[in-house]
Amino acid sequence: MELTRIEIILIMGLMAFAVRVLPQVCFVGRQFPEVWDRLLRYLSYAFICGIISITLFMSGARFEKEAAPFRAVALAVTIIIAHRTKSAVTGMLTGMILVLLSSWVR
Amino acid sequence: MSFSARFCQGLKAAIPIWIAFIPSSLAWGIAAQAHGLTLDEVILMSAWVYSGPGQFAVLVPLAEGKSALQVVVAGFLMNLRFLPMSAALAPFFHGVNRWVLFFSSHVISASSFIVPYFQFQKEPAGEPNEPAAARSTAGYGRLAFFLGVGATSFTVWVVGTAAGFTAALGFPPGFEEAMKFILPGYFAGLLVVEMKTLTMALICAVSLIAAIPGALVSPRWGWLVTAIGTAILIWGWEQWSLHVSKSS
Repeated sequence: MELTRIEIILIMGLMAFAVRVLPQVCFVGRQFPEVWDRLLRYLSYAFICGIISITLFMSGARFEKEAAPFRAVALAVTIIIAHRTKSAVTGMLTGMILVLLSSWVR
Repeated sequence: MSFSARFCQGLKAAIPIWIAFIPSSLAWGIAAQAHGLTLDEVILMSAWVYSGPGQFAVLVPLAEGKSALQVVVAGFLMNLRFLPMSAALAPFFHGVNRWVLFFSSHVISASSFIVPYFQFQKEPAGEPNEPAAARSTAGYGRLAFFLGVGATSFTVWVVGTAAGFTAALGFPPGFEEAMKFILPGYFAGLLVVEMKTLTMALICAVSLIAAIPGALVSPRWGWLVTAIGTAILIWGWEQWSLHVSKSS
């Protein structure tokens, strides 16, 4: 059976919605035991770092080796500034300016 | 704090996400137009699927008329990452009506998960013997903050893709490069500010590095598998150390 693009989008959205809604309805207000809560927290942190890494250094299946050193330096500076100022936005802005400068230098 | 005050608090916290969403939503709108999708399809996909990476992943097979199963499976695999995010947020919404959660869960995305998650970690947890009404009020307060982040980011994403579709904007190379840094830079800043233990730092460092070879092996799943593996390994090692120190 041939499906139209609209139908495919509707099915995709339904599946994305199911993945989002099931834990909300099933786990609401439930306190996980400390051990599992800790694992969930660790998974979240690891997951966020994975997102940071692939967003910064990968373009599809390709490692962006030319830009990677500059972005890695910008990330390191972001981390240092955010840690010292206790402000994520200040860190991000500093890193952004560095990335902008490095793209002009290259 | 009232529901609207908490919503505004979330709205303010979402501003960096909006800034990051603008270029990527415009880019997706432009790409979708270039691949021959209609404006209706672009808006429907952004509003109903609402997943940047998922939308990018299926754009080409969808536009090229590849098999529906292939498109749906690719989209599902990309969107599976919402499962642990949604599960991690759920315990914070104690006492909230399930129908409200049913609808509000639609605005969960990587960004609208991270910002509330860090905010809720900072807030004092309710006592187990606290009155149900107090816990429910706290749950609705957190939901308001989450919606302040999620609903406004969702709106920016949908409007941005439609705008990208109608106006093919060209960013200068340097500008595009800086825009690409906003989201990971902001997330890294949030992580560092919230980081409390050496174990957390270890998990972050290992998963940051391991994601690259993981993504090279499997662009879709590799980084996710390395992140899960890193967290489980370090958590297991920590549990084992605690067990050994208790028994000795």
